[in-house]
Amino acid sequence: MEQNGYQKQVREIYRFISDHLYYNRPDMDVKGDHFNSAILLSLLTALNRGKELIIGEPGLGKTTSAEFVCTLVYQFPLGVIWGSEVSGHPEQTEEKIIGRPDLGKLNRGEEDVVWTHFSQLPVKIVDEINRLPETKQSMILDGVDRGNWEYLNEMIINEEYCLFATANYHDGGTNTIIAPLVDRFDVMVESRYPGANLAFLVGKKRRKDEILRHPRYEKELYRVLKSKIGYEKKMTRMEEVCNAFGEHLQGALGVKPLQKQDRINIRTEMETLGLDLDASAFTRMFLAECSFCDRYGQKRVVENCEEGCHYTGYLCHDIKNCASNRLPTSMTQYAQALAWLLGDSAVDIEHMKAVTPYAVSHRVQWRDETLSQKERSQRDDPFPIFLAKEAVKAVSQRYREQSDTIKDALAIGAKIFQGESLEPLDGDHPLYREIKKDVEVRRT
Amino acid sequence: MKGSPQRKERTSRHSERRGPALQNPFQEFQSYSFSTKNIPLDRIVQSTEAVMDQIRLGYEKLLEEEAKELVWMVQYNTIIKAYEVAERYVREIDYSAEDIEDFCFALENTQKIPYLIPGPAGLYISALCNYAKEEEIVLKLSELKTEINLLGFRLTKGKRLLIEGDGGDFTGIGLEGGDLVVEGNAKNWTGAGMRSGKILVKKNIGLHTGEWMMGGEIHVGGRVRGLGNIVEGKVFEREKMVFPGKVRPPNMYY
Repeated sequence: MEQNGYQKQVREIYRFISDHLYYNRPDMDVKGDHFNSAILLSLLTALNRGKELIIGEPGLGKTTSAEFVCTLVYQFPLGVIWGSEVSGHPEQTEEKIIGRPDLGKLNRGEEDVVWTHFSQLPVKIVDEINRLPETKQSMILDGVDRGNWEYLNEMIINEEYCLFATANYHDGGTNTIIAPLVDRFDVMVESRYPGANLAFLVGKKRRKDEILRHPRYEKELYRVLKSKIGYEKKMTRMEEVCNAFGEHLQGALGVKPLQKQDRINIRTEMETLGLDLDASAFTRMFLAECSFCDRYGQKRVVENCEEGCHYTGYLCHDIKNCASNRLPTSMTQYAQALAWLLGDSAVDIEHMKAVTPYAVSHRVQWRDETLSQKERSQRDDPFPIFLAKEAVKAVSQRYREQSDTIKDALAIGAKIFQGESLEPLDGDHPLYREIKKDVEVRRT
Repeated sequence: MKGSPQRKERTSRHSERRGPALQNPFQEFQSYSFSTKNIPLDRIVQSTEAVMDQIRLGYEKLLEEEAKELVWMVQYNTIIKAYEVAERYVREIDYSAEDIEDFCFALENTQKIPYLIPGPAGLYISALCNYAKEEEIVLKLSELKTEINLLGFRLTKGKRLLIEGDGGDFTGIGLEGGDLVVEGNAKNWTGAGMRSGKILVKKNIGLHTGEWMMGGEIHVGGRVRGLGNIVEGKVFEREKMVFPGKVRPPNMYY
């Protein structure tokens, strides 16, 4: 992997956050490197234009962790990020989230939109998203997915954006996040309690976020955001102010934030990383188990898995819904980002195994029997992430046992597609059946 | 007609109907050289199924001969007799340790086996373990809803049986020098009449532990609910020897 020094720069940002801003224990081990999942995944989200759902108990740093990452990756002063955050509450309106009519112009009979800071900034934080009622969650669906924000007959498109949403565990004031919105999040992570000793340190170091603020730059950015110039011009002007703030941060704190061009270069480097054969075969195996149904052709949330099916030992028996097409995208995107950060030349199975639980946990709907079997198991993670990690463990165990045969079956599939007359391999895994189905389509 | 405008039109219409060429979803595996030397999986499956059929048949015969009544009583004579019947069938089967594990899973998860009676099932599994070629056998029983009794019966010297999950009543009775490890709990009468060898129960153990044991050691990681009348041997509770030791009435609840 070509090393342009960006990995070092990003690792310094990670270290600065974990040493000075967000105290927590490492809970992820990837190829001998220890990371805190909340910081690592937030950093990868900010770098590769992802969408992250951060869950956890109130006051455990869900929002602040995202704010720190956004400040250091996008060079926005903390005050500007605070000013752009949308908070989820039942009375939230489209006008507060996306934009409102320009009342002055409206009086003159002209129609124009005043866009909110949330819709304009490339970093977006929705605080307590599950306090938004289900009906209002659909207001942000399109924006979350594509970065398109529409109001009246106008639209702005965020070319570069990342989104963080926080959610408390269920209480009296929370609502369920609707399935289409949940599926749009690439990863879900928990901001955990750091332990009594680190929590004590957090208590001692009050107002540590002051170091990421700067009133002059904040005022200047607000002025640009409110100005009536075109969105593209506005972004260019904001980038200049952000670069100046970045230089200030580097001088004051010794940590160098990323400029727009750095982020573009990083993304290009990430995208060039391919998956090695094991990573590819493992991902296919996982997806097959999350979507396969021998009886009904594919998983559907409205259909029940029958007892006595040959495939009861696989994940398809334990889950209700079908894996969406966004799942492989998220898995690949985050595995690429992780491989890039570790300086590896390709995405391997370890990168894939590390990110998969976080990409899967919020998307899978488990059967009640599975939930009741495992809900009292000893664990460190929240239940959905624990279940996803167990699922990844089970699939990787199966992959270890069958990797050679699976790769043979895929290679034979490739040859058949090239026109060779071979028979697809039989095997005891849904993936063999999926390969057969694809091959049959080719033959007909 | 070859190359005529009508034919060309027909061909182009035909290709339009078929649509563009399908993308090869396995493209990255094109250069992977696969081996065809492997035994086809269905042959392996067939041979495994044949072995399973034999094992299942032996169990059914045992049930026919020994458990005709609906209630199977655990008595010394019935145990010995049933074990001898089990031995007779097991000796003739060529199986591996994995087949024993498959059989345990099949006991609850297939309709091919009509009854799971914990006593005979445990004796039959014990016979399978004692006559297995492998020295170490792992039984994954944590997913089973029924606790199987009499596991590890007469486990011979040089054999190691690891039970992942819980053991039922009479676990490891009559142990003959083998090494029995239970990852979970074991119920009452564990190690009764054992002669030598070692039983390790990682969690708790029930009443009458080591009743009439003549030698060997029982190690318990959790609590011993009650000791039986032990003749000889040692019992350890959380690494502390509780027999021989201070006089402690058998089966005391604490």
